[in-house]
Amino acid sequence: MQTFREKILAMLNGEIVESLPFFHWWRHSQIGWAERECRNRGMGICWSRPPHSTILHNVKQKVIHDPSKGPGLYRMIYSTPIGFVYQDEKREPGVGQWHGPRSWRDVSPWQITRLIKSVEDYDVVKYIVDHTEYQPYYFPIEQAKEWLGEDGLVIASLPHSPMQMLMIDWVGSEEGRFYIHHARYREKVEDLYESLVKSYSSMYEIAAHSPADVVMFGDNIDGVLVNPRLFKQYFMPIYEECADFLHEQGKLMAVHMDGRLNVLKDLIAQTSIDIIDAVHPPPMGDLAINNALSTWKKKVIWMGYPGSVYTLGPQAVKEHSLQLLRSVIPGNRLCIEMSTENLVSNENLLMLTAILENAKLPLTQRQINQIKQRLA
Amino acid sequence: MPTTEILDALKNDIVNLDFDLIVKDAKRAMDAGINPLRAITEGMAVGMQIVGEKFESGEYFLSELIVAGAVMKEGMEVINPHLAGERSQHLGKVVMAAVEGDHHDIGKHIVMILLIARGFEVIDLGTDVPTETIINAVIKNTPNVIGLSALLTVTMPKMREVIEALTKAGIRDKVKVIVGGTPVTSEYAKDIGADHRAANAVEGVKKCVEWMTQKSGE
Repeated sequence: MQTFREKILAMLNGEIVESLPFFHWWRHSQIGWAERECRNRGMGICWSRPPHSTILHNVKQKVIHDPSKGPGLYRMIYSTPIGFVYQDEKREPGVGQWHGPRSWRDVSPWQITRLIKSVEDYDVVKYIVDHTEYQPYYFPIEQAKEWLGEDGLVIASLPHSPMQMLMIDWVGSEEGRFYIHHARYREKVEDLYESLVKSYSSMYEIAAHSPADVVMFGDNIDGVLVNPRLFKQYFMPIYEECADFLHEQGKLMAVHMDGRLNVLKDLIAQTSIDIIDAVHPPPMGDLAINNALSTWKKKVIWMGYPGSVYTLGPQAVKEHSLQLLRSVIPGNRLCIEMSTENLVSNENLLMLTAILENAKLPLTQRQINQIKQRLA
Repeated sequence: MPTTEILDALKNDIVNLDFDLIVKDAKRAMDAGINPLRAITEGMAVGMQIVGEKFESGEYFLSELIVAGAVMKEGMEVINPHLAGERSQHLGKVVMAAVEGDHHDIGKHIVMILLIARGFEVIDLGTDVPTETIINAVIKNTPNVIGLSALLTVTMPKMREVIEALTKAGIRDKVKVIVGGTPVTSEYAKDIGADHRAANAVEGVKKCVEWMTQKSGE
């Protein structure tokens, strides 16, 4: 019988897989009886950890927390010889007390103000990028690999790719700011983008030599925000550059694409990405999994189970997941992630596990009928 | 330059996403004595309408829609001072908010651009808006529609809270509630008692127009 790690790697290598791999991300997983039971019944666990450490030269960082400004408000100030930039973030209770930067409710800190607020900030941020050094630091990956053993997979995580870093981190899309900057200050935007592209190259090489089998850009791609023109111009070349580094060292490349992908599906097919991570089928996404599988014939899909189905309860989870299995027969090149966004209730986690633990490959209608009968 | 040519130029500036020309043409329109409301409704708003259609047909993407909105805003800054004393006719009034705990803004922003282009007055309460603030805004502004946005499953329950608070305040039947955001399904919208779930910005705005048209036809 294959272990979870053997299953997920076999699928990635195009080998025979006994049953549909399914796993929970550590960062979204509860610890307790339901999680233990699900793992005993086949649910894997995956961990995403950086392969590098970051050093900022000539840049001073300061974090200010003034409770009088409001609960959970923090200001990060970056001072350089040519000026300073800052961003404010709001942290919910629990940040830093359990899963990394996530709150008790599993919500990341909100950036209330962005690092780049006006055109003047581009030069300062460019200075920071130009004075950033990445160094290999594999201990977090080695540690998690030892802890997980055959129970899961450790993924080397990369930050948002260069233009996505601008779009959803540093400039932000509030009131359409990124698009307006991109239209009005194209030279500044592209200058900073080019600096990031140059700076990131060393990071790809570090990731390629890491002990992880898979390296992932946490890009949060959504075709409505990243339209095909932007994707083609600013994202695809980056993915190709990174994939070259990774493939040369026998690593696989994943990109987190958790938004609406229909408009990008043909372009995605042209990339050298091996794993499309966090694909959300309807009702949250706009691309059905069977459609994605037939469009991306050379890729493996890690599907993020839609949180909106979870909100409707275990019965809805049962109906949705049985329908999903029927739509992807025979079930090749697909792995299910219990969630890529938020926590999952014990009831929903158990229901999804009850279905997926019996999803032997290749899937057949008869087998899915049996799963349904067993749960009746 | 004849009035029609200037109005046409204003329209084209929006469609062509031209930040520089819109300011020049808006000034030219005011210098030529064109009625400011006419410059908006027969010039820039027509351009926004075309941009909205191009967005709907897939020729334009979100980025173009947003930039067109920003271009129009630049033009409005030139025209606004000339609007004093003019009374604009709005198709309806919409209060927009991302519910408490949710800071996502982009979907709400697109809806607002399209609503304004269709002639609605929009009161934007912003993001992370407490239920009480929304209720107070409804009482104060008596909108025809409230648009609620949530992009996280953990913030969706706040939509229900708003609708329950409207009922408690005795004003639920005075206003239509439209909800939107990626995780919000039609089933969920029905369950919480919303009037409609917007499948996307264009569809949501169409529904608002439909409500207002029905109202004026009553």
